[in-house]
Amino acid sequence: MLTGEELTILATSLGVALRAVILSLPVATLAAWALSKPTFPGKSVLDAVAHLPLVLPPVLIGYLLLVTFGRRGPLGAWLEATFGVQLAFTMEGAALATAVMSFPLMVRAIRLAFEATDPRLFDAAALLGAGPWTRFRRLALPLAGPGVLAGAVTAFAAGLGEFGAVITFASNVPGETQTLPLAIYTALQSPGGEDRALRLAMMSFGLAVAGLALAEQIQRWARRRQDA
Amino acid sequence: MTPPALAVDIRLQRGGFALEAEFRHEHGVAVVFGPSGSGKSLLLSAIAGLRRLGGGRVAVLGEPVEDVAAGVRTPPSRRGVGLVFQEPLLFPHMSVAGNLRFAAEQAMRAGRSATLSMDEAIERFELAALLPRAPRQLSGGEKNRVALARAILAAPRLLLLDEPFAALDGLRRRAYLRHLLDLSREHGLPMLVVTHEIEDAAALADTLIALASGRVVACGPAREAMASHVFQSMLDPRDVGSAIPPSAFAGEVAERRERAVWLKADRVLLASERPRGLSARNIWEGEVARLTREADGSVLVEVSAPIGGLLARVTPEAASDLDLAPGRPVWSIVKTHLV
Repeated sequence: MLTGEELTILATSLGVALRAVILSLPVATLAAWALSKPTFPGKSVLDAVAHLPLVLPPVLIGYLLLVTFGRRGPLGAWLEATFGVQLAFTMEGAALATAVMSFPLMVRAIRLAFEATDPRLFDAAALLGAGPWTRFRRLALPLAGPGVLAGAVTAFAAGLGEFGAVITFASNVPGETQTLPLAIYTALQSPGGEDRALRLAMMSFGLAVAGLALAEQIQRWARRRQDA
Repeated sequence: MTPPALAVDIRLQRGGFALEAEFRHEHGVAVVFGPSGSGKSLLLSAIAGLRRLGGGRVAVLGEPVEDVAAGVRTPPSRRGVGLVFQEPLLFPHMSVAGNLRFAAEQAMRAGRSATLSMDEAIERFELAALLPRAPRQLSGGEKNRVALARAILAAPRLLLLDEPFAALDGLRRRAYLRHLLDLSREHGLPMLVVTHEIEDAAALADTLIALASGRVVACGPAREAMASHVFQSMLDPRDVGSAIPPSAFAGEVAERRERAVWLKADRVLLASERPRGLSARNIWEGEVARLTREADGSVLVEVSAPIGGLLARVTPEAASDLDLAPGRPVWSIVKTHLV
């Protein structure tokens, strides 16, 4: 069974990934909704920004977060002065770094779900007198619901494994920011830590596969619902 | 003076296709008739606001909802214009009751009251048994009924219908037609119905708007517009005929609620003397107004009769045997079962 140390690492990983999903879900949903529309001014810019974390090195993302949200960064200083919130080297910081990294993945899954909905349903709703907010809330969101859920689960599973951005921005603090991949890295750095690393790797592998399988199940259920 | 239900003067471009239409629809039912590709659906989309105009204006009950020159453009959701699409487009994640409630909620939010209450709509369109069902559990005809009821419950000031009969078979077609006529007669809801079926056009139209290649080629009171040469030339030769009010016929046809029955010229028999001993119930005395030789060799005879003008098609041999010429008295004969 798992040791106390492993349980702490697991809890940290789950906590970080969950916070990351909660943080990015509303923003990703709105971005995906906007990107699923045919055209609007600034669409290509939004598209590029949403996909940036996919092509930038994770360490660079971590560095950018540090510069902006670190204690001396403009937003970081403001957050600490106004709300007393410190992001760098905390679990919240690890969650922010994870959220940014999994953002493109989430936007992509949710956008596909929005695009799978027959756009004429929105015309039909508009001609019954429903404004944009009603159409989004009563049609787009429930119809894309399974896709949104699948996107969230995928992002959660991916978030469990985020390394570069987290270690750069939030560092490697056991019980606070030391997630599974960071713990594996630490174990490999210490002499005789191969066994620990192997156990952690197997945990990480199991979690990722379970997350992926769950997301796939949700997608399948969503497709069946769309076809019906 | 009450403003017209709909006043349209629009220009719009889609790909290589240009739509240019100007007409007024005062009240009742206007039918937009034309072959496929004539721009009928595009016209409806433009009136509903789903497509931006290139130029011109649309006014509903005197209120401009789009006027390019004046920079006015009301979004589709606030025009008070309902549109029943060719496909029912029911919301798949809501039950039938949910679909109807959605529409009623929008009407309530906009502060409009619908032509029919929820209960009246459920009764009239026979939806009570369908309420808990999901749209995918409905037959095509049932979906169409729900879509129409939903459109009515949203309380539109003007209802547009795009080929509403396309997916319906004979009996359901009749029933649907009756619903539309009732809504128009009893509740005065102005409608614009797109169809390419001549029988449906005759049955519904107070006003006829004929569209060809994106232009209005005929527009006016239905019976006159349908008798015009330009309208007749749009029809398949076998469909050429005349719009006759049901009251002109004998028997059950006279009871029909349709505005007019389309009597195809092929179905009319002519006699040069008062016929006797015939089983046919409809025999109208009249006189020949005009003869036209058709491309296929047949002769199209315009007869003016007390019930109005009608058309009969005869062979050239028959025309010469009967000595048909303008001014000659003739009797037009139609079997009830051919109507």
